[in-house]
Amino acid sequence: MKRMGCEHETGVIRALHSGEWTRELRLHVAECPDCSQALHLAEALRAVAARAEVHCHPPDPHWILQRSRRMAREIALRRMGRLMAAMRTLAAVYVIVVAGWLVRGYAALQYREVAAAMHGATREFGLMGVVVAAVCVVAGLWPILRQGSASR
Amino acid sequence: MEDAGTIAAWAAPGREQTAAGEEGFKRLYEATSRPLWGYLHHASGRPDVADDLLQETYCRFLLRQAPAMDEAQTRSYLFRIATNLLHNRSRSRDDAAQEEPAEYGVENDEETRLDVQAAMRHLKPRERELLWLAYVEGMSHAEIAAATGLGALSIRILLYRARQKASGFLRPQRIK
Repeated sequence: MKRMGCEHETGVIRALHSGEWTRELRLHVAECPDCSQALHLAEALRAVAARAEVHCHPPDPHWILQRSRRMAREIALRRMGRLMAAMRTLAAVYVIVVAGWLVRGYAALQYREVAAAMHGATREFGLMGVVVAAVCVVAGLWPILRQGSASR
Repeated sequence: MEDAGTIAAWAAPGREQTAAGEEGFKRLYEATSRPLWGYLHHASGRPDVADDLLQETYCRFLLRQAPAMDEAQTRSYLFRIATNLLHNRSRSRDDAAQEEPAEYGVENDEETRLDVQAAMRHLKPRERELLWLAYVEGMSHAEIAAATGLGALSIRILLYRARQKASGFLRPQRIK
């Protein structure tokens, strides 16, 4: 089976980071080509990393916090916008379906006979219920449909 | 290595909204922003890209409201976000020439700088990422797997290959 590095390599890199070298580990690195190669590369990369840090000027964390809050608001607005668009579509479909149903279904379901059969308080109560329901539906749909037409 | 309390303080949900949460974030940022920038700079090859992606990494970190994590997990999580952003960026670009390794300033150890630069130029972005995480950040294979999204078992092989490739460009070690 082909060798894929040494099992002590992680320990060697850890020792390089912490500076806590044991005598055994040093002796092992001197004898192990894998670990000595890894150590050499790690030292070279760390030297380059230390020099590159000179060019690092991270922005103020306060600015990052503000930007993340602005992004959160934008995401919430987009989400609400999608919800409103779905509501508008549903409202438009509802209006069309109800209008069609009222026009076609009025004759088919013989509402006139039903209305004629009602009398006195029952009739007034029924009519009031229909009017209140219609007002509620129109009041609920009106702003949504109006906003939809205004945004187009 | 970062102060353990620094990142542990960054644990409660909705933390960035409070003054203590802000303070915790500032400490976390101070402890992690430079290593993260170094990684982004090295992997992308451009300081301006590293600047942009660094901001994006922290913004995404704040937006995602990740569950409570310890120091190592938070660090891996930040590197994971940064790695994903690097990959998204390289996927969305047509010109592979932009993915050249970083140019570092001319300093004392010019030989090392040139060797590393030559080595990095011949490595794939993924190999550069692995070498940086293992040797500069000192991450374990499990941490590298968490940061890159690769399988923990394949890290050992990929890292070995990347090391073999990079070491071919380095001058023999001087006796100390």
